[in-house]
Amino acid sequence: MSSGLNLLIGISMGLNLLALGSSRLPSLIRVAAAQGVVLGLMPLLMEHHFSWLVALTAVTTAVVKGVVIPTLLRHAMRAANIDRDLDPLIGFIPSLLLGAAGTIAAVALVRVVPLLPEHRGLLLVPGSVAAILTGFILLIARSKAISQVCGYLILDNGVYLFGLLLIHAMPLLVEAGILLDLTVAVFVIGIIVDRIQRAFDSLDTRKLTALHE
Amino acid sequence: MMASVEFIVRIGLWFLLPPLLPGIVNRVKAWVAGRRGPPVLQLYYDLARLWRKGVVLSDLASPGFIAGPAVAWVAVAGAALLLPLGPLGSLLSFRGDVILLVYLLALARFCTAWAAMETGSSFEGMGAAREVSYAVLAEASVITAVLALSVQSGSVSLARMMEPAVGSGGVLLAAGLFTVLLAENCRVPFDDPATHLELTMIHEVMVLDHSGPPLAVILHGASMKLLLYALLLVQAVVPLGGLSFPAAVAVLAGGVLAVTVGVGLVESLLARFAFRRVPLLLTTAFLLCLFALLVAWNGGAA
Amino acid sequence: MTDGPILFVAAAALLLGCLLGPRFPRLWIALTLAGAAAFIAASAHILGGGEPWEWRGGFSVGGEQLHLRLDGLSALFLALLGVVGGAGAVYSRSYWSDAQYPRSAPRGRALWSALVVSMGGVLLASNGLHFLLAWEAFVLAAYFLIILDPDSAGARPAGWLYLAASHAGTLCLFGFFCGIASRTGSWDLGPMRDNAGLAPLFWLGLVGFGLKAGLFPLHVWLPSGHASAPSHVSAILSGVMINMGVYGLVRFTGWLPVPHEAGWVLIFGGAVSALAGMAFAVSQTDLKRLLAYCTVENVGIIGVGLGAALLGSEQGGTSWGGLALAGALLHVWSHGLSKALLFFGAGSVVHATGTRDMSRLGGLWKRMPKTAALFAFGSVAISGLPPLGGFVSEWMIYLGLLGAASSRSPAAWAAIPAAILLGISGALALAAFVKACSAVFLGASRGGTSDHAHESPDLMIGPMAALAALGAVIGLAPAPLWPSIARAAGAWRGPVGPMPWAVLALGLCNLVLAGLALVAAALLGRRVRDGGLKRAPTWSCGYAEPTARMQYTVGSFSGIISGWFSWALRPQGWSQRPRGLFPARAHRFERIPETVLEDAVAPAALGVLQLSTLVRRLQHGRLRFYILYIVAGLAGLGILTAMEARP
Repeated sequence: MSSGLNLLIGISMGLNLLALGSSRLPSLIRVAAAQGVVLGLMPLLMEHHFSWLVALTAVTTAVVKGVVIPTLLRHAMRAANIDRDLDPLIGFIPSLLLGAAGTIAAVALVRVVPLLPEHRGLLLVPGSVAAILTGFILLIARSKAISQVCGYLILDNGVYLFGLLLIHAMPLLVEAGILLDLTVAVFVIGIIVDRIQRAFDSLDTRKLTALHE
Repeated sequence: MMASVEFIVRIGLWFLLPPLLPGIVNRVKAWVAGRRGPPVLQLYYDLARLWRKGVVLSDLASPGFIAGPAVAWVAVAGAALLLPLGPLGSLLSFRGDVILLVYLLALARFCTAWAAMETGSSFEGMGAAREVSYAVLAEASVITAVLALSVQSGSVSLARMMEPAVGSGGVLLAAGLFTVLLAENCRVPFDDPATHLELTMIHEVMVLDHSGPPLAVILHGASMKLLLYALLLVQAVVPLGGLSFPAAVAVLAGGVLAVTVGVGLVESLLARFAFRRVPLLLTTAFLLCLFALLVAWNGGAA
Repeated sequence: MTDGPILFVAAAALLLGCLLGPRFPRLWIALTLAGAAAFIAASAHILGGGEPWEWRGGFSVGGEQLHLRLDGLSALFLALLGVVGGAGAVYSRSYWSDAQYPRSAPRGRALWSALVVSMGGVLLASNGLHFLLAWEAFVLAAYFLIILDPDSAGARPAGWLYLAASHAGTLCLFGFFCGIASRTGSWDLGPMRDNAGLAPLFWLGLVGFGLKAGLFPLHVWLPSGHASAPSHVSAILSGVMINMGVYGLVRFTGWLPVPHEAGWVLIFGGAVSALAGMAFAVSQTDLKRLLAYCTVENVGIIGVGLGAALLGSEQGGTSWGGLALAGALLHVWSHGLSKALLFFGAGSVVHATGTRDMSRLGGLWKRMPKTAALFAFGSVAISGLPPLGGFVSEWMIYLGLLGAASSRSPAAWAAIPAAILLGISGALALAAFVKACSAVFLGASRGGTSDHAHESPDLMIGPMAALAALGAVIGLAPAPLWPSIARAAGAWRGPVGPMPWAVLALGLCNLVLAGLALVAAALLGRRVRDGGLKRAPTWSCGYAEPTARMQYTVGSFSGIISGWFSWALRPQGWSQRPRGLFPARAHRFERIPETVLEDAVAPAALGVLQLSTLVRRLQHGRLRFYILYIVAGLAGLGILTAMEARP
């Protein structure tokens, strides 16, 4: 069980780096979606015995993160007619190296963190820290609004991973609420993106500083 | 006595087998494209023909133009002889032989690039510049892979390092080393050995002015390097330790064949990358090896 | 027993050369060679197994009793000093001849002897005060040698920068030795590792010796200093003088206790130095600046070795630590020899063509085949490629690092990144030296500078060949050298253990490889001659009228790598593109600044200067106010004393 879980977390770490290295918007969206699906499946592996509620959450998470949100994003992208190439503030290779350094540091630091004995062998904490770091790098280093949304999604995946540590303590209702919030947020962003595009003819967040008042 | 016989047999193997590999790659490419393609032994014919030919030498070329390919060939052959061959073990194994292997390949690169710069042609200059620049990133991956193997096995000699463990580390290392293999042997997506557009090539463009026997030596050396990397990759990933002698040899040969076919498939299905994407891909290879190292480190601690 | 008289002969010969050198050039060469030979003989005796030599003079200098000591460690450096000092003296006979430089050549000879003898003094001194005196003497001698050429435009600013940096270093060393003296109560030096209070002094020593050794980012004086000096001077600066800094680091990490972080700082500083030095080297267009930056890289490699040795020693004398130290010490030799050889080669090129700008050279092998071959030899050696000396020492350091990694010691967290960075810098070195060799010696002549070039006289080729031969010995026969290296390393913190069998195997491999390479080249050459050989213009893909200006330039060769490091290199370029139907001259000019100097040190220095300008306002020449200052000062002192006395 723990090795399968670690494999999934390892894949999600790889997807982090893939997100940092992808130079086009659609592939970035795809990576974020894939990570959502991978993480959504994890509660199924964590439970010792099958329970309908957990299965339902897992499937819902996977569907929302893997299908609904990417579709919204793609729709927004198409509606706003965005140029698909990302123009990074921090280049792809430096952000890749940063992400990798962050991941290694996360794996190294996990020995310091006091964990429950059943979580000792798991990569949950490093995986979560790595995803959060990746999200931040994307938020800082990419200037397109939609790529920032992807950064936000990956950051949220990291938070979700951390939440899995508390899977027994946290009511699933909270989980579901977060998911709903996320979907609504992305939906709203999709609409805003469309409006901004119409109003300003650009989606470069660097150019939106004029709105600060 | 036995040692010298073994030495001669190994030299013979390394002399005779390598030209088979490019033939197989071309066969796979032809098969995917639905063509008949050249015979598998084509490179042997080419080498024999080139060896008999005369040489046209640039006015500017110094004796280094001839000596370069010869020394590069010796360096690659030396590296090849250091490599253990599965159940046969290695000819001479000592602590740190793996570093000698890596640096022998670097010596070969120095000599090839030197010979390329002899003619003063801007095309060869371009190729040599690319070769030595991309090698910087490839070298980082190779050293990291060496570190991963050495941490995993707790040893620094090739013969004992080639006892890999199965797991995610192996997969990462295989992916990383395969990418390095493609880059170092100038295959697609880094370089296109089939093209004749000089501006887009790395290795082929360095040998534009070579002809006759020196070109034959260069081509043979390149195929030897491909076989060397394929063997290295297979032994670094597939555990051969527990197998009987014939089974191990078969697995080794099968692995090399699989790698070769993989190269052919990559070449048929992928286009050559734009040059600005090459560093990104090589960085990815480096990171794959780095994570293999991390897995190896954690694997021992747990 | 015999070391004392031999060293006395050496000192006497060199001091005599200092006095008589300006008048009698032949006698000077004989004296310098005698001094160098005596240095080598004494060192060989110690390294060959003789007892370490120690001598306390009956008289005192500067109030301190003279105390000299020659053990394995200092003998290793002293022998290198003898080799390069002697070779450089012979080389300068033709390179900086009286006929060509009637005013500066005599001065140069005296200064050369002074430099060699004072560096010998540093290596022998076992008293803090005398160490500092000898240190200051060689710093000054080197300064006057850098500005030896009165007509060179860059020499004077480079000399000033060198002097300023050296004195900053000397200041640190002053603090270092004063600290030792005040805490032990004596200027006498020797092993004192049980005195734990001395550990913090390591940081002062690191800055002082690091400045001299040229560890990044303390290397700011090094590129311009090495590039602007006459080439035989560059050779001894780069081959030996920077090693004085290395000697200081090795000596005093061995004699004094060090803080726990010392090994980590050295290993990371060394690795960064290796990478940054080579990144800068690859992008240079000036041949001698390229070599100078390469020195920064090699000092970094030595630093990595020493750092690993320190970590190994902290963890209880592991075998990998000993190997790393042996590698670092051997690298002092292999780098010193090949760097001196390369600077001599660069000097021959400058001598023959009058320029060190690689983008104006090319095709020199036809006119200077011996120089070209020797330069290529040095390039292979310094890029750390087998079968030559540079590889053997780097290999030992790698073995140390891999040993730390594979034994999963805590030091692996430093050893693994260091090994990766060393690998990268090795590949960069290869790129840099392919570029240097090909731009200078291969292809066609670019600017007409090479057309009237001539091969150097035998007196310049001879020393280069000697250095190359010694470098080859390190590469091909490391096993016979191991006992000497082990003795030198043993003088650090205790014996390093028996010779690993791998050293013998590596030497064997190198020997076989060198032999096979020669045979293969000869066979292929014969096959080409027999098979029919035709000369033709370069094909260049069928272009009909190739000109030399179409060759790949140095800038374009390193363009890819400079692009990767542009965040650190900050290249500056001006270009004028061709415009219109009949474009006028178009040109492009590029320059790689010394980033640390121009973007960090210079602004800081400017700030200090502005601050001192403010202070200078107080100095206006009006006597009344000066008297006022004195009165104010006295009053202030009085108030202070009164306040002290009251409670």
